[in-house]
Amino acid sequence: MSEKELVAKAQAGDFQAFEALINANKGKIYALALKMTANPQDAEDIVQETLIKAIDNIEQFRGESSFGTWLYSIALNQSRAHLAKQKQTDLKPIEDYLPTRSADEMHNHGGHKLFDWRDPHKVLEDDELRKMIDEAIAALPVQYREAFLLRYYEELSIKEIAKIINESVASTKSRVLRARLAVRDQLSRTLEARYGT
Amino acid sequence: MGRKCLDYIKELNDYIDGDLDPALCEEIEKHIGHCENCRIMVDTMKQSVKLCREGRPVELPKSLESKLNNLLKDRWQIKFGK
Repeated sequence: MSEKELVAKAQAGDFQAFEALINANKGKIYALALKMTANPQDAEDIVQETLIKAIDNIEQFRGESSFGTWLYSIALNQSRAHLAKQKQTDLKPIEDYLPTRSADEMHNHGGHKLFDWRDPHKVLEDDELRKMIDEAIAALPVQYREAFLLRYYEELSIKEIAKIINESVASTKSRVLRARLAVRDQLSRTLEARYGT
Repeated sequence: MGRKCLDYIKELNDYIDGDLDPALCEEIEKHIGHCENCRIMVDTMKQSVKLCREGRPVELPKSLESKLNNLLKDRWQIKFGK
């Protein structure tokens, strides 16, 4: 049965159709919530709240996005509510991720060279590496963390993410880039401290 | 006059994710062929996402699964009366 048919049945009150729609997504929602909050109890609460909201508002789903994308947007709102106490900060400007303050200077004209790391598996155990990555993601401000997770864990397109976070495509693109630069920067600093020269 | 590294960096996600115009892709490849910092930036940005994706898949806890079944059925009944 197609998603459209399942949605129509669920909106008419068929619980089995609703179950079929959420079964494909509830694990993903839990994973997203866990990465967003870094707290298993919060992640469980977010899954429950998301699915209850989905039931309460199922007639409002108009099929403009996939059902999964609709659930993600509810889950992100719930995650934001759990993270409301965290300050909405901004990341550094892109220039600040370059090794010198002036972008022109970066081009090998005497500027500081970036630390080159390619295979951290050589020096770190998997668990240690995983912890380092989780910490780098958790250190991202909420609005960048959600854009990064949707792009690189859920593998959604920029357009889909823009719809979920209710931002323009250009702003979403910029968030994803800056989040990726920040994660790279954080990992570089930790790895350089561990085995850099 | 060529583009500046900062201009290239703004395009790196699209470049790495394969969403960039082929002409600009070629320009970036040419640039990273002789700009060590941009080459390192590309390699380590790729590696960052690769590492993030390598983590163990997260599974829904069994206890949550059974809690959800009852919770959602009850909510459904309240909404639809069936």
